[in-house]
Amino acid sequence: MAAGRAGRWFLLPGLVFLFAIDLVPLAYSCWVSFYNWWLIRPRDIRFVGLANYTRFADDPEFTRAVVVTTLFTVGAVLVEFLAGLALALLFAQPFKFLRPIRVLLLLPLFVVPVVGATMWRVIFHPELGVLNYYLAATGLGPLPWLSDPRLALVSITLVDAWRTIPFMFLVMYAGLEVLPAELFEAAAVDGASAWQSFRHITVPLLTYIMLLAVLIRGMDAFREFDIIFVLTGGGPGTATQTIQILNYRAFGLGHMGEANAIGIVTLIIVAVMCYVLMRAVLRPQAAPS
Amino acid sequence: MRISRNVRYLAVAVLVVLAIASGSDAPASAQAKTITLSMLAGYKEDVLRANLPEFEKKTGIKVVVDAAPFGDLYKKQLLSLSTGGRYDVLFMDEPWIPPLSEFLLPLNERMKTLDTADFIPTTVASGAFQGTQYAVPVDPNVQLLVYRKDLFEQKGLKPPTTWDELLADAKALHDPAKQQYGIAITASSDIQTALYMLLAMWSYGAELVDGGKGSLNSAAGKKGGEVFLELLKYTPPNVKSYNFADVNKAIQLGQAAMAIQWASGAKPMEDKQRSSVAGKLGYAQVPKAVRQTPMRGVWTVGIAKNSANQDAAWQFATWLSGREFGQAAVTFPSATSAIHSPRFSVLKDPATKAALPYADALLVSLQITKERPRLREYADIQENLRVTAGKLTAGELTLEAALKEIDAGTNRILGK
Repeated sequence: MAAGRAGRWFLLPGLVFLFAIDLVPLAYSCWVSFYNWWLIRPRDIRFVGLANYTRFADDPEFTRAVVVTTLFTVGAVLVEFLAGLALALLFAQPFKFLRPIRVLLLLPLFVVPVVGATMWRVIFHPELGVLNYYLAATGLGPLPWLSDPRLALVSITLVDAWRTIPFMFLVMYAGLEVLPAELFEAAAVDGASAWQSFRHITVPLLTYIMLLAVLIRGMDAFREFDIIFVLTGGGPGTATQTIQILNYRAFGLGHMGEANAIGIVTLIIVAVMCYVLMRAVLRPQAAPS
Repeated sequence: MRISRNVRYLAVAVLVVLAIASGSDAPASAQAKTITLSMLAGYKEDVLRANLPEFEKKTGIKVVVDAAPFGDLYKKQLLSLSTGGRYDVLFMDEPWIPPLSEFLLPLNERMKTLDTADFIPTTVASGAFQGTQYAVPVDPNVQLLVYRKDLFEQKGLKPPTTWDELLADAKALHDPAKQQYGIAITASSDIQTALYMLLAMWSYGAELVDGGKGSLNSAAGKKGGEVFLELLKYTPPNVKSYNFADVNKAIQLGQAAMAIQWASGAKPMEDKQRSSVAGKLGYAQVPKAVRQTPMRGVWTVGIAKNSANQDAAWQFATWLSGREFGQAAVTFPSATSAIHSPRFSVLKDPATKAALPYADALLVSLQITKERPRLREYADIQENLRVTAGKLTAGELTLEAALKEIDAGTNRILGK
């Protein structure tokens, strides 16, 4: 009993760490979001309650940013999930020639996002970019990758996919590698097709892994900033202006209350998104009758 | 043996203490002679760094340079100053002085020691706010019209002096089949787009803020906006993704017959290594309509109010705005950009004219230049202008809706 009580003290460092780097800054951010605090007016900091939040309801720019962020998140995660899964299934096959390619596939993961985005800005450059050069040579282009409002969102989604498909691949490939081979052998003996094996064995067993990958990427994509900032800065117009770009602007202009409110709203949206996704995927299965 | 070991330990301890004591003395004296400068990274930074050793040698003051790119510099300075940060000296674009004035040292008394008669008056005004001088001019910038002399001669055209002439010339020189475009300006969400639009609106008599309220939604504002949109018909096809550097590239690659560009972008256009049109360019004042309003954008240097090294910082500020540095800066073989000088004596110097083909246009424009509204809230107002101009060029808003939105945003920021 005494030993059990003493054991609780071992939790203390972890709890202190959690409070210090997570909960205290979060509580402070929440507290600041209730104030009108403009850095250029340090003597005029006023408590405004929920005003920094209620103004979002009347702000079409914020509503549009939520829509753009959601479109980007859904699009990016969908592309990355499907491509990552397809690659994981391909590389799980016993082809020796695929092994060296596996390492190359991971390279974008090691590129700093800002560096990667700058590289893509050059690739997308309308006159000097290599992409338009080859598209023009094949009669398919040139295309206004970053200057057309519709194409700009697609372009940033593709760059995000380039950077994070390797992550999706890695997670799902690791999941596939530990699936019990006996189940697939038994299914093969029973005459199951490749599709049936995938549908009735791989997918159910990989569900948690896939959920984890989608959750992590979903949260990441919703908070994506570097790529969008470097490639388009939110433009053209407001075509790629996400919540994080708005947040950056608010911080940059010194509106601390408003910027923190945007941060808290982002946190709430991401938390709700995770909760809904987990409930949908992990709901208890009905017992077979 | 034991005693001798203890003595050795004691000796080592004494040496360590002495080393620490002397070490703590050294930084203290060095600290008094070390100042931290918040600087613009990249262009302009190279000129400063090349000349800094001379200042350090002459004065014994060490300057620690913390450079940030243009897009981040104001944010970094605001955050640092408002949280009691570490900068002694700040290199600031002039619209930032009103919002940062709260944290800057008033320099009125110190300015009396400078030979202000040598400064172009508009550049000195760029460092003042509500009657107090907060910064000294270092690098005067102004929008200029850049044009291809060879193409104008071929077509028998004269450099345009009005917006109507500019439109006519841009149309005459626009030949997309030959990848030759009338004019290079930006039409993206970049800040330059908003400033091009504002320049045209100013020329027709509109004001961004008048009587404490947003005032662009007027007949003059609409006319200026229409001219700006008309001009976009004669630009390279991808100006919707252009920024400051892309305008330069369009000129340097020989694609554009004209450009409206800040003077600080002009020097690379004359770099034979990087520009196919070096030596073929002419420079003139920006076009006028009912008035001529070249936009002013002077880079200045100010001192943090809470700096513990104000005298050393002032020494640095006077050196940076001085004739010697100015002369060295204008003749600096920069491959990217330039620092000019706010001094008559430097800009009129034959060596400057030889180094900068646009020196005359720069000097004339600086004397009639128009400043952006001197308001604490200006950074917000300009950001609202930037976003709305981006929406206009992206086709999200009509000109009428954009003008209304700009004024509504300005009034909201000003609390009207």
